[in-house]
Amino acid sequence: MRRVLVTGLGAVSPFGAGVKAFWAGLAAGTCAIRPLTLIDAEGFRCRIAAEVPEIAAGSPRRSRADRLALGAAVEALDDAGLGGEERGETALVVGAVGGGMLEAEGWYWARARGERAPGWAAALRSMLPAAHGETLAHRLGLGGPRHTVVTACSSGAVALAEAAELIADGVVDCAVAGGVDAVTRLCFMGFNTLKLLDPAPCRPFDRDRRGMSIGEGAAFVVLEAFEHARARGARAYAELAGHGMTTDAYHVTAPQPEGEGMVRAMRAALAAGGVAPAAVGYVNAHGTATPQNDRIEARAIGQVFGSGRVLVSSIKSMIGHTMAAAGSLEAVATILSLTHETVPPTASLTTPDPEVDFDCVPRIAREAVVEHAISNSFGFGGQNVTLLFRRA
Amino acid sequence: MSSLQRRGVVITGVGVVNAAVVGASPALGTWLRRPRAAERSRAVGAREAVRLAEATLAGLIDPGEGRRLARVCRLTLAAARLAVAEAGVDPAAGLGLVVGSELGDFTSTIAFADGYLARGPAGLSALLFPSTVMNTMAATTAIAVASRELSLTINVPTISGELAVARAASAVAGGRVDAVLAGGVDELDPLVAEMLDVLGDDGVRGEGATFLMLEAEPVARARGASILGRIAGAAWRSLPARPWGVGRQVASRAIHEALSRAERAAPGWLYASASGDAPRDAWESRVLAAALGPRRFPTLSLGAHLGHHAGLGALHVAAAAWTARTGLLPDAAGGEPARVGGCGLVHGLGRGGGQVALIVEAE
Repeated sequence: MRRVLVTGLGAVSPFGAGVKAFWAGLAAGTCAIRPLTLIDAEGFRCRIAAEVPEIAAGSPRRSRADRLALGAAVEALDDAGLGGEERGETALVVGAVGGGMLEAEGWYWARARGERAPGWAAALRSMLPAAHGETLAHRLGLGGPRHTVVTACSSGAVALAEAAELIADGVVDCAVAGGVDAVTRLCFMGFNTLKLLDPAPCRPFDRDRRGMSIGEGAAFVVLEAFEHARARGARAYAELAGHGMTTDAYHVTAPQPEGEGMVRAMRAALAAGGVAPAAVGYVNAHGTATPQNDRIEARAIGQVFGSGRVLVSSIKSMIGHTMAAAGSLEAVATILSLTHETVPPTASLTTPDPEVDFDCVPRIAREAVVEHAISNSFGFGGQNVTLLFRRA
Repeated sequence: MSSLQRRGVVITGVGVVNAAVVGASPALGTWLRRPRAAERSRAVGAREAVRLAEATLAGLIDPGEGRRLARVCRLTLAAARLAVAEAGVDPAAGLGLVVGSELGDFTSTIAFADGYLARGPAGLSALLFPSTVMNTMAATTAIAVASRELSLTINVPTISGELAVARAASAVAGGRVDAVLAGGVDELDPLVAEMLDVLGDDGVRGEGATFLMLEAEPVARARGASILGRIAGAAWRSLPARPWGVGRQVASRAIHEALSRAERAAPGWLYASASGDAPRDAWESRVLAAALGPRRFPTLSLGAHLGHHAGLGALHVAAAAWTARTGLLPDAAGGEPARVGGCGLVHGLGRGGGQVALIVEAE
């Protein structure tokens, strides 16, 4: 097994384009969850979301999600300084759920009205989750192994784990990996229907939390074999020291009540990295703010690390749940917490849940020198992923 | 270099559910001796397609599951259970799952949207929403077969099934899991035909599921499993093409990488991903010719027999294992199979430029 370094970061978030804007928003504890503008929310209990304010990347003819992905992936590649020749052998792993569904919905809604919307062929070509990978590979000249994983809300984190395996196994030296999702009608309506959305900005780990907020965005990283990065003098942000992927095999939407699959994922990541629980200082939680998730996740973290033994926070309090992008945006936030020696806050946390026996970094970012941090991502289907990062 | 050099990967179970074949590896072998095209019907709009009879599927799933699960999930589960049963694997020992799909539960997704369009927010179904996420087949199957290790759903045009098997093989070879159930599944929906017409894809569509049980060779041998074939090498790459497009580049590396990992110079025969989608099929022919040279290899695709769906690629891998065991390559016209030797190449090239190559050989 080869060691895997993170040598490039890219993000397009509800704070705007770029890693700098992303971290500035997180460090300031700014909530980017606002009234929804992209789709009609009339008649729904929740009418807010964390939308990306402006997308500069890509032609407007591309899907919104493709443009989010392009913005983040281009930034990550530029940040890593990977040239054209190396890109031809670079792997690409994309975590996606909605694909270009926002535009395809436009086509289908128009079709239902008996209209023929312009540009519908382009919308259908970009509809599937795999379309992002095709767009990125084509535009950025990425010719290595490419695949798209759909593991619901854990997709972005799974993409990083998958890419890390390709590098660790010696299949490639470099990989671009991340997740992307735009707000879609299906997603917004679906979570409303499940009554999992809070009408107000979400409050992870708060006693009075009432559910999630939807968000959108993209984050990609460049992963690189240790030897390859060192040979070309690349800067390393962190080491992706291990990961764990498990399945609850319990329920399609609900997590296993004891967090058994979550515990296995966290322990597998620690074992893969050869890291003791006591060496981990920060857990970037999945922290969706649903009553069930936060309670079960806190219990699982407690089983692995001991109650109160690590700092825990959820950046969904600021950017909402960005679906397939969540795992990769949260991975970037975790890496930045190591490099900036600052843990981002759970911005909206005012009344800690007594069942959550951790310091969840309420409201204000915390200075903390941490050697190892993990990022948890869970999804429908009982899909659990933990990424373990080590300071470079 | 390759993980596949570290641990052998063998096939110990097969499950096939489509309009022509329902069963494990013996049923597939019987059909392969004289493959006959499944009957086509106007199942999806004006387009001819190969559809599995509902009564056949109903006979494979117990009524309770039948009521609870979407059709594409029932297809997945039926094929997955056949493969698990043939392999005799104990899921409690650690079982992963990799599902390839091109369209996911498209029918439920459309039904969910139609509910809103008909009645507004009151028409939305909380039960249907989880099915709009493409991992719904993996989620329901993982529960049913107790797969608790990694669970992946892989989406890519044309080659989802082959790629799912290749990805699962790399997980087994790398020592991350001892057994993985891998394959592909798709169902037909009338709206698919309308979309394919818009996209200029005129291939024959089908539906069904094929799953294979892949195991680490030492583990399979230790428990005395019957070995149906070996995946000696696998690789996947990306060729430049626009989304859902057909590219021009013919130079590719996946085939050479897969052969290199299998320590083979050339295959003896091929299963290719031709499906009747003329521009894509022509591109694949050029890519194969560029990789393998002027020699003409005995080549077969079962796309015209079964209709293209994500299960087809996985079925090609299972069929290649049969060919490797028997030395027989089926005759597409239903005549006597041809005698072949050496290892087989299962190749897939998708719209959008995804490429996968697997080298399959006998035990």
